[in-house]
Amino acid sequence: MSRTLKDMRPVHVIGIGWHRYQFASETPYVELGLTAVRAALADAGIPWPAVQTAYVAKALLPMAPGRAMLRHLGATGLEILHVEDASASGSAAFRHACLEVASGASDVVLAMGVDKPARVALAERSTGIPSLADDAIAPFTHFAMLADQYAHRAGATVEDIALVAVKNHRNGSLNPNAQHQKARTLAEIMGGKAISGAFTSLQCTPVGEGAAAVILASDDGIRALGVDPARAIQVVASVGRSQRVYEDATRFDALLTSETAGLAFAQSGLTAADLDVVELHDAFTVEELEYVEAMSLCAEGDAVRQLKAGAFDIGGRCAVNPSGGLIAMGHPIGPTGIGQIGEIVLQLRGEAGARQQPGARTGLAHMVGIGAVCYVHILQRPG
Amino acid sequence: MAEPRLLMPQLYDGGSPPALQGGVCDCGHVFFPLQAYGCERCGGHGTRLRPKRLAARGRLVASAVVHLHAGERPAPFVVGAIALDDGPVVRTLLTGTDVSLPPGCRMVGTLVPVTPAQDGTPRVDFRFAPAMGSDLS
Ligand SMILES: [Zn+2]
Repeated sequence: MSRTLKDMRPVHVIGIGWHRYQFASETPYVELGLTAVRAALADAGIPWPAVQTAYVAKALLPMAPGRAMLRHLGATGLEILHVEDASASGSAAFRHACLEVASGASDVVLAMGVDKPARVALAERSTGIPSLADDAIAPFTHFAMLADQYAHRAGATVEDIALVAVKNHRNGSLNPNAQHQKARTLAEIMGGKAISGAFTSLQCTPVGEGAAAVILASDDGIRALGVDPARAIQVVASVGRSQRVYEDATRFDALLTSETAGLAFAQSGLTAADLDVVELHDAFTVEELEYVEAMSLCAEGDAVRQLKAGAFDIGGRCAVNPSGGLIAMGHPIGPTGIGQIGEIVLQLRGEAGARQQPGARTGLAHMVGIGAVCYVHILQRPG
Repeated sequence: MAEPRLLMPQLYDGGSPPALQGGVCDCGHVFFPLQAYGCERCGGHGTRLRPKRLAARGRLVASAVVHLHAGERPAPFVVGAIALDDGPVVRTLLTGTDVSLPPGCRMVGTLVPVTPAQDGTPRVDFRFAPAMGSDLS
């Protein structure tokens, strides 16, 4: 019999931390990672030796950075596991850290992500199966075509799609951990460097460097370590999926998100109407429109109207990407999915400051990765 | 003048229009390009997978002008996704346009000259182009 998170013991996030996402620099990954982990330990108020396992998400760093970095916290002999799942590496690490705690195997687990920009070689291009011109279709071009398709299907203009970037850059301007911290007008975004299709540079995620860390604990762990249960945020659903063969092959991104989110809602007994905060994979503007529809935050084809009405603003019906999302906060790859969880925890604790979604109680984190793979987590504050 | 050589003969033939070298599984799943690893729908492999020539005709799903591109291919160029009348969706370079085209537009395969081989033999590669005249059917 298979079991989900709801059938196992409760899992809570008790500590969060970042090293700011930034453009590539001389800073070694060790310093990036240690900054985030020390911040998460301090936030939880627990000592490093309490951590039993470390899940280290990275997609671009060379083999096995985990111990080379974590030994500087004291080489406690804890289990160290590296996780790679493309853009969703951090989300995959978080999911398996949740399962380790939920299963009862451990009481206190670290999930962290750290990366620095490097030349990327995609395994999809070395399968031995030839392609007509896949080399011509970089991710931004894949999503530029999706934007073209969305614009025609939903009757949206290129400016409508770019409004996602206006919102997310505004949110990022309030986030000290964001790579881009500058509000932008629609004219600035539309006037940027042309990349592919309707996309200009400010509608595309900057891939930089950084780190994010979260600490997970069971109820037993929380009690034993004297952690304040009021600041612990429970993970109420965790789902990971990969692409199937869909009737409409051109819409696999949205269809995969729809089924993954659907399973997470079923697992938690919640619906999209319960969500106060969503962090989703907006590597390119059009994705936010596709995914808010795919996870039923609004009706199919209605995302632009809702966006214009402020429904997805901080203070709106459901704040979407209050961190700034991948577009403004950035996408250092390994850390990204972990950083989303950190933002939701901040929001659900009411500690998000200028970015605070009023009364936030329930949040959802969504990531996709090349492959394609998809992860959805739902978190809820006590009470 | 030597007969032009196909750049990727494992993917298409020299017909007019060229046919794409796809595959079909006993389960009915039609795919492009041909591969022998196994069927994405049912996992069938070996003799369950057979070659199937796919007519290079279909409707445009989406297109984009690529302005910035790392790698050897000089930008700008236009790419498109075409839903073949025979089933699969194929993504490749477009010719006969330097702007994106309206989705739904009829498209047909064609061969265009590309960089000659080292020995000077002319080479052609596959593109999709907007259909004209009798190709429109
Ligand atoms: Zn099959």
